[in-house]
Amino acid sequence: MVDMDPNAIINMHNVSFYYGQSRALTDITMSIKKKNVTALIGPSGCGKSTLLRLLNRMNDLIDGTRVEGEILFEGKNIYASDIDPVEIRRKIGMVFQKPNPFPKTIYNNIAYGPKLTSTNNNDMDTLVEQSLKQAVLWDEVKDILNKSAMNLSGGQQQRLCIARALAMKPDILLMDEPTSALDPISTAKIEELIEELKKDYTIIIVTHNMQQAARISDETAFFYLGNLVEYNKTEKIFTNPDVKHTEDYITGRFG
Amino acid sequence: MEERRHTSSHYEMELQEIKNGLIYLGALTEKAIQMAMQSLTERNSDLAHKVIKDDDEIDKMDTELEERCIRILALRQPTAIDLRFITTAIKITGHLERIGDMAVNISEKAIQLNEEPQLKPYIDLPRMTGLVGEMIKNSLDALIRNDLDLAEKVRQIEQIVDDLNEQIFRELLTFMMEDSKSIHRALLIMQVSKNLERIADHAKGVADMVTYMVTGECVRHQTCDLNEKELA
Repeated sequence: MVDMDPNAIINMHNVSFYYGQSRALTDITMSIKKKNVTALIGPSGCGKSTLLRLLNRMNDLIDGTRVEGEILFEGKNIYASDIDPVEIRRKIGMVFQKPNPFPKTIYNNIAYGPKLTSTNNNDMDTLVEQSLKQAVLWDEVKDILNKSAMNLSGGQQQRLCIARALAMKPDILLMDEPTSALDPISTAKIEELIEELKKDYTIIIVTHNMQQAARISDETAFFYLGNLVEYNKTEKIFTNPDVKHTEDYITGRFG
Repeated sequence: MEERRHTSSHYEMELQEIKNGLIYLGALTEKAIQMAMQSLTERNSDLAHKVIKDDDEIDKMDTELEERCIRILALRQPTAIDLRFITTAIKITGHLERIGDMAVNISEKAIQLNEEPQLKPYIDLPRMTGLVGEMIKNSLDALIRNDLDLAEKVRQIEQIVDDLNEQIFRELLTFMMEDSKSIHRALLIMQVSKNLERIADHAKGVADMVTYMVTGECVRHQTCDLNEKELA
């Protein structure tokens, strides 16, 4: 197991989560390292997406849910009463399974968030360009910024969503199966992008594609039935995991 | 610990076929060594020629097993214990193929020795042959049963084979000093002994890979260094 790291950007202590009466996560304690890619893996219903959504308070939007324990982001519990969830979501951005661009121009997809939250819109062109460059989309769209984002391919739309998240200048990017709806080439581009982005951002990714977790992550956490079974260096998980259950899962000896 | 089966029965079968192939290859090499030694002790060069001819089968099996392993790496992307098993299998098949080559070397020396009067009764060489045969068998049993103790036992026998080899060298030196006409035959016998000692190294290599497969720990440079001996 990975020790509590003083350089961690997120520290979770004994986190449990309930949808009504049913418990989705049990007593999770783990730290997420800064500027690392952390992969969350496990079979459907194991709690990995629930955990991801807990990290930027997306579960607040679901009625009847309850969180126990604490999730410290930069030392502060993000579930404390004086914390603004909107501010948390600005610092901890999210990219979803299906690309979900706004039905607006490419330019306005990027500019929408910053315009809402910032009073200083002078450098909007620069911000749009920077964000699209970071998401390695600029060269493909620089001449069609005023066209609708809906005309882009699935892979381009997903990179646009990443650019949109980056425009808010977050510290952490949460990705919930960001490539499961994409073809192999688009997937490779997103994976390449993740490798680039980890120089500046902390990335937490939920994936069902084990090879993807193996390829792009530094640490991997395996969840089963709401429990954190093993959290280890990715290389260790995929060559010689400490827990038999992890091995059974990643080698396909399951159920 | 009982291993659970893969959800994919085809994958399970592919891995099992590689295991079976390794056992078969091991049996072929064991037989080759025994026949090579028999050709020497019974002064029967026909047997030696048969070992040389049969080595083609060992080479073929080696290539086939390696191809199967590469196919699994490419198509199944094995991880954890499966990954360690496949990498282990690739190395083991290489060790076994080399053991086959050593049996050929022994046979070639036997043919030459059989053409001359016997220098001395062969006592320690058949003993070494029995020991290396046991090492090969045990190392492959260890592979099938994930048996670390058996792998360790193989490493221990290797030391006995080393000692016997040195003893044979010393003994043959006395022959050579006493009678210069014995030098050619003594050198041939030394090479037979050296080949048996090298077979023991390869069998130990198999056992070391089994330990790696089970524990994930590389032990092969902790005791005796195969590469150093290869260069010597």
